[in-house]
Amino acid sequence: MNYLYSKVNSGLSLVILSVLILSLFIYRIFFFVKDSFWFFTLNDLLVIISFVALSFYLLKIIRKKNPSPSNLVFNIGIINAFIFLVIIFSEKILNLLFENFSSRISNPGLLESIIYTIYFLIFFVITAYLLISFKELYFHKQNRGKNTYFIAMLVFMGLTSITGLFFTSPEYKFVNNTFLIISIILIVINSIKISWIAFIVKKEKLSLLLLSVIILTLFILNLTNSGAENFHGEVLKNISPSFQQFFNLILLYGAIYFSVLFFTTLFHIPTAEAYDRKAKEVSSLQYFSKLITEVLDFKELAETITDIATKVSSADASWIVLKQNGDLKIISNKNIALLDADLINQFLFESGICEKIAETKICNLNKFARKSQLSEKYGSVAVSPLRSYNEIKGYLIAVRKNELIFYEDDKVAINTFSDYASVAMENSMLLEQSIEKERLEKELDVAREIQRKILPAKDPVFNNLSISSVFIPAFEVGGDYYDFFEISKDKVGFVIADVSGKGISAAFIMAEIKGIFESLSRMIESPKGILVKANHILKSTLDNKNFVSALYGLIDIKKEELYFSRAGHCPAILLRDGKASTFKPSGIGLGLTNDKHFIDNLEEFKVELKQGDNLIIYTDGITEAKNKDLEDFGDKRFTQILLNNANESVHKITNEVIKEVTLFSRDHTQYDDITLVILKWDKKNNYMEINNGRV
Amino acid sequence: MAEFSTSIKDQGDVSIINLKGYLDAHTAPILENNFVDLIDKNRFQIVVGFKDLAYISSAGLGVFMAYIEKIRDSRGDIKLAGMSDKVYNIFDLLGFPLLYEIFKSEDEAIQKFTESK
Repeated sequence: MNYLYSKVNSGLSLVILSVLILSLFIYRIFFFVKDSFWFFTLNDLLVIISFVALSFYLLKIIRKKNPSPSNLVFNIGIINAFIFLVIIFSEKILNLLFENFSSRISNPGLLESIIYTIYFLIFFVITAYLLISFKELYFHKQNRGKNTYFIAMLVFMGLTSITGLFFTSPEYKFVNNTFLIISIILIVINSIKISWIAFIVKKEKLSLLLLSVIILTLFILNLTNSGAENFHGEVLKNISPSFQQFFNLILLYGAIYFSVLFFTTLFHIPTAEAYDRKAKEVSSLQYFSKLITEVLDFKELAETITDIATKVSSADASWIVLKQNGDLKIISNKNIALLDADLINQFLFESGICEKIAETKICNLNKFARKSQLSEKYGSVAVSPLRSYNEIKGYLIAVRKNELIFYEDDKVAINTFSDYASVAMENSMLLEQSIEKERLEKELDVAREIQRKILPAKDPVFNNLSISSVFIPAFEVGGDYYDFFEISKDKVGFVIADVSGKGISAAFIMAEIKGIFESLSRMIESPKGILVKANHILKSTLDNKNFVSALYGLIDIKKEELYFSRAGHCPAILLRDGKASTFKPSGIGLGLTNDKHFIDNLEEFKVELKQGDNLIIYTDGITEAKNKDLEDFGDKRFTQILLNNANESVHKITNEVIKEVTLFSRDHTQYDDITLVILKWDKKNNYMEINNGRV
Repeated sequence: MAEFSTSIKDQGDVSIINLKGYLDAHTAPILENNFVDLIDKNRFQIVVGFKDLAYISSAGLGVFMAYIEKIRDSRGDIKLAGMSDKVYNIFDLLGFPLLYEIFKSEDEAIQKFTESK
């Protein structure tokens, strides 16, 4: 049935329908033969075909509108009232207009034939409409596959009607009666299956109760008034006896259906409220559990929320706005263009009508001056606050198109749902933050691990040279690097460097410069030469904004000479004869400028070593260590401690410096790595001295 | 960490960015955005005022390096002015005076731009 109906083109069906009804009309008026069996047979055949065609056509129209059961019931009521009035007054009005009109019923002239046929056609359409409405009601909220009973009922109603025409003699009357009884049984069976009542809310159930009583009464009245003995019945019977029979069966169906509907509704009333509440709770719980599973991905969660919001409130579109830096940002939009959502947002929030709402509020867009700019005809808006810790973080907005507006129970549904959505979004954000924090901490762990592996595990030991180094990492890896290279038996290279930036990126650059100095120190002896090469490599490999400060030195043990160059790094300090000299040869940081500029500005220093000389190299983590008043530890304090301990062992000196720095900055977090390396030229020191006292 | 903020004013073809507070890895993006905005507006003659800057870290120094090539390629420059001794020492250590023109006052820096025209 549905298949057939879907195949028929609506324009074509209208043409066929018109042709059928017109031919029925012409046939009745121009070929009317009184008491001819064949005339009536052909007549009824035309009526039946036209009726089927009309029913299909109406079905198509009604399907397109997709009315709710309450609408259908209301329409049936109006039509019934109309039938009632027509049956009561038609005879009187026609008699008033045309003298003795009703007495010519069995012997009509042309005028009477036309009026009768029109009268008939009105009921023809009404009957088809009622039939289709009943069918829609029957199938509403029911498994569409189970239409056997309904079709069987239609077939038997048809058979009853047709047999009324052919089996008129008393001895064959039983055939007609049998079909009639079967039809009535099927009508009763079909009427009991009213499943859609359970799905409507209490308010609608109450109005339905009242409506069904009125309609039931009208059906009964119409049924008793349309017997074959009064004017109305006679007109129909004269035109088509089988149609009259069918019309009465439809009225009977209506009467039975509405009496059942009345009682069913009555029984549903006490539980209606409970049903409403339960249905809402169950659906909310289902949705809530869905929200919980999506809490891991905020973007996905937002999309699920808008998706469910449209379902919960049967809205046409929905979106979420979040407050971000004082602005409202749309983070998910469902079934609506961003531009439209933006416009509606402006109306809702800039006018201030939805700024401080405690719960879901329903607004009408009719007052929106720029409504015409929307690409769809949005009408009613439901705005729900999304809260966390009693603060409104954003809004969930649902909107309906055209004249559909949100009602009180929609509001309750949206409000409940938006509460759940708030909780889910809050959880999702917290989770994201803690995951991010954990990720950062892991990342820093990795960076510290890289740095630990890059730096020398212990201080090296050389003839005539004692070395002590201390390294204290900052929480966010600061990028300090130092190293020693045994170039030959008599030559020792050393380097100290500070990579710009912090964390894992600084750690990776450290790894790169370790590689660079490891290999360059084997190929080139001159500190200046090494730094020039290092600059050349780093200029092309580092980002523009990254650079490295470095100081590279070479000690020739045999010649007792020290050479070093400084590329943007802290100066070297030489302690000799109770005095501290700061050496700051010219030099630009590595990776900052091109080869020529770099070479032209890079100096190399040479120092003839004397017994007891201390060479101190360090990073700015020492001099820039801060106390609680944000004062720097500074060069002065640093030099003073060095001088005070100049005659001590290298380990003692580093220990003293670190002790003082730690003491100074005990009330302030250490933000940068601290590196301190002291090399003492000490001819009394041989391989024999044991390396102890490291911090 | 302590606060950092910038303010920008235009004086003829020269834009002056004044820095205030602590410029480090966390606050550097604020200054980066200032440079990006000026470059977008084709304003390449930039003076950076340091008189209210309390501290600059290596990441802060990196911001100047990030845009200098682009600005100089567009016949512009970044000139630095009004540094305290402490801030100047940090710049000096890295050899920045060899890379940038550094002036005592903003006016001198602006003057230099107008003269070179």
